[in-house]
Amino acid sequence: MNLSTIITMIIVIGLVWGGLGFFLLRAIKYEKIKSENGKD
Amino acid sequence: MKQQEFFSSRWALIIATVGIAVGTGNIWRFSRIVAKNGGGSFLIPWVIFLLIWSVPLIIAEFAIGKSTRMGPVGAFAKIGGKKYGWMGAFVVFVATAIMFYYSVVTGWCLRYFFSAVSGDLFKAVDYEIYWNQFASGYQPLLFHFISISFVAYVVMKGITKGIERVTKILVPSLLVILLILFVRAVTLPNAVEGLKYFFTPDINVILDYKVWLNALTQNAWDTGAGWGLILAYAIYMKNTEDISLNAALIGFGNNSISILAGITIFSTVFALVPNSDIAMKQITQSGPANTGLTFIYLPLLFSKMSGSSAVNLFFASIFFLALFFAAFTSLISMVELSTRTLTDFGFKRKRSIAIVACIGFLLGIPSAIDLRFLANQDWVWGVGLILSGAFFAFILWKYGIDKFRKEVINGAGSDIKIGKWYNYVIGILIPIQVVILISWWLISSVSWDPEWWNPFHAENAGTAIFQWATVLTVFILANKYIVKRTLNKNNS
Repeated sequence: MNLSTIITMIIVIGLVWGGLGFFLLRAIKYEKIKSENGKD
Repeated sequence: MKQQEFFSSRWALIIATVGIAVGTGNIWRFSRIVAKNGGGSFLIPWVIFLLIWSVPLIIAEFAIGKSTRMGPVGAFAKIGGKKYGWMGAFVVFVATAIMFYYSVVTGWCLRYFFSAVSGDLFKAVDYEIYWNQFASGYQPLLFHFISISFVAYVVMKGITKGIERVTKILVPSLLVILLILFVRAVTLPNAVEGLKYFFTPDINVILDYKVWLNALTQNAWDTGAGWGLILAYAIYMKNTEDISLNAALIGFGNNSISILAGITIFSTVFALVPNSDIAMKQITQSGPANTGLTFIYLPLLFSKMSGSSAVNLFFASIFFLALFFAAFTSLISMVELSTRTLTDFGFKRKRSIAIVACIGFLLGIPSAIDLRFLANQDWVWGVGLILSGAFFAFILWKYGIDKFRKEVINGAGSDIKIGKWYNYVIGILIPIQVVILISWWLISSVSWDPEWWNPFHAENAGTAIFQWATVLTVFILANKYIVKRTLNKNNS
């Protein structure tokens, strides 16, 4: 694999799977806060 | 009308909504479009359009459904004014027209799953003949009936006991199956060649405007943004639920699954064919009604996956099972959207489901017995979806995008606040994308059909404009009646 392939792989997977992981962790965090506050 | 049911938790809502977004388009259309548009070069604009088309429209759908607690007809009338209920009716009609033939496609996946499990699939000598024999027989009709009946049963059970319970099983199962197939695919010898093609960018291809338009089209079609389906589920989200973070999760979750499926298919095809030219030919081959890769070439490849026929059958079976789960969970939302629109209109829920299932079965018959009809409907209402997206943007503009963002999107329950960028995306970028995309598709049809104006041809500008115009005329003329009845029934 050449460098441009590896860079594209990192950018695309990083953005899409990384984005999913980022938003998932945020959602888990907010759900935890809500359940601790007894909102849900 | 009192809101009676809610999804039991945020995760139940997210799983059900991911079930809407992830359909057959993520698995078979995505790989074909990536291959046709230069592999890695396509992925960059595809990620950009996730941010400026899919996620903003998913946010809009969640917010409209949650704030109005009505299907698109009532919701559009409440948000934009009574004059615009016909726009909501068009949104529902487009998704319902897609439901008619999508039930047929769901049936194909189920039939191929049974063929793989029984071992019948690998007895075929020529997979094109095998497909043609299946498609020209009575079985597509039978499996279309089975699919829509199962879905009607699930919707009949209600939101928590039906939709939530089923999607909580099917969506995680789909993910597990895709992960198993992914691991198997990337560990095949020569799979790295597929990965190379999938991720290698070509600067000349990135500069081609058609690649960008295909990337936008793929986002418009496979995330479910602007279809009205997410709005239909958002009706049942709790007041304390967030909108924007959930929308981002759906958009990124959907595209993550597309990447997983894309890597799996590219690795499998490149590993199991003699050279990359044949691999490319197989991935890009659309076949009748875009069935080529999935129903003709992949069964052939699965039969060569290893020396053990039992192992090959196992992988073929779980692939078609995953495809069926993806299609089934999307089909549920289409039936729920039509059902909810009828209940808003004053019908009892059970009667609404019966009407939707019966009409869905009857109007799906032409697609089940004639692939040209299916291709026509896929073309007309596939492009029509872009118009649906435009109506969502218009209705927010009518209400006041900034006001809607502050009052509804960033209102009660929001975990993250959406900034002013949202106003520009909905007010400027979405309309620009709609105009360019619809113009491009209609103008492109001139190049593949000299009689582009003829409304009786399968895929051209004439048939699309004729069918949209007919539906829009009926809804605009009936607007006063449908809006009055929908709002009255919900106020009583």
